[in-house]
Amino acid sequence: MKGDAQIQEWTTRAERGSLPLIRACVWLALRLGRSTVRIFLYPICLYFLLSSPASTAASRSYLSRVLGRPARWTDIFRHFLTFASCLLDRVFLLNDQGYWFDITVHGEQLLQGIEASGQGCMLFGAHFGSFEVARAVGRQRSDLPISLLMYEENAQKIRAAMAAINPRLATEVIGLGRLDSLIAVAGRLQHGHFIGVLADRNVDGRDLVRYPFLGREASFPKGPFRVAMLLQRPVVMMVCIYRGGHAYEVFFEQIAPATSGRPAHPEAWISDVMQRYVSRLEDFCREAPFNWFNFYDFWS
Amino acid sequence: MSTSTAMLLPEEAELARLIVETLNMDIPAETIDPKIPLYGTGLGLDSIDMLEIALVVSQRYGVKLQADDENNTQIFSSLRSLSRFIQDSRSS
Repeated sequence: MKGDAQIQEWTTRAERGSLPLIRACVWLALRLGRSTVRIFLYPICLYFLLSSPASTAASRSYLSRVLGRPARWTDIFRHFLTFASCLLDRVFLLNDQGYWFDITVHGEQLLQGIEASGQGCMLFGAHFGSFEVARAVGRQRSDLPISLLMYEENAQKIRAAMAAINPRLATEVIGLGRLDSLIAVAGRLQHGHFIGVLADRNVDGRDLVRYPFLGREASFPKGPFRVAMLLQRPVVMMVCIYRGGHAYEVFFEQIAPATSGRPAHPEAWISDVMQRYVSRLEDFCREAPFNWFNFYDFWS
Repeated sequence: MSTSTAMLLPEEAELARLIVETLNMDIPAETIDPKIPLYGTGLGLDSIDMLEIALVVSQRYGVKLQADDENNTQIFSSLRSLSRFIQDSRSS
């Protein structure tokens, strides 16, 4: 995809960085504690604001669109700060320091119901807010394993970064780059696992559909929805909004019930479900604009 | 892709038709070379296509596929190996 280099420009620097650097930051963060280490986020975000024109331009264009007025420098700074906060908090979450946070969960019953059915399902997230907090909610209940499904290249990066943040925590990341990747997903679901997938971004440019999103058409990948249909599982959206301070709010919402058998019109089913996903994502963006973490031209 | 039509065994031809129909592929089933890889560079199928094949095969032939079977990569490597696996599972 065209903007791919840009997509990764900031996120790779921040998420992958160099692994020893991540380890050093993690060590420091865990010793200084969240309140102290947060002070560093301000100069870091200022630095990115000044040194990363592509991300800044993407942020400005998105914010102007969602806020309905020209974005100011302070808006863009706040956008970067929200992203940096979520990245930093991931360090604490992955190291059993959930006590820093105040997490409200909506729709937990939905998950409990699915868990009781023993069937598992896919949890449809986005590059929005903190996927990690949502996963932590799952992890607190040890009987609710959540694996992540992503493109192979990202999978390798994420595995390495997660291991640098906490080597003791085995995060199951399923890469899509294997012949039997999704056959393995089918097996996990059969064992009642939950599979997280970020369904707002495509990497290989295959099977894209364009939907109106915040006033202009943007591309979304069909793949994850097709998998849910084939495996006859409910489509559940999982979003976690960072509200500032210590507060996170997690939402689990059913976008579509499980299909029984193959739908008469598979493409129509997928299109309908995707539309609902995109529309809910839009709602979340309007409700918590600074939680949108796609720092590239999403509408290209 | 080979255009030879004489290479397919009858059960391979049947399986090829099932795959082409399931995935809405716009090539004649008989033209599939049974020895080229189904996944990736060969026939150009992706992991979702492979999942569809696994599902339709287990439905049609009643073959139990194990998700964590390490042989899956081998079983699904080509039309021929998948067909052989199906025949073996049915006769055993």
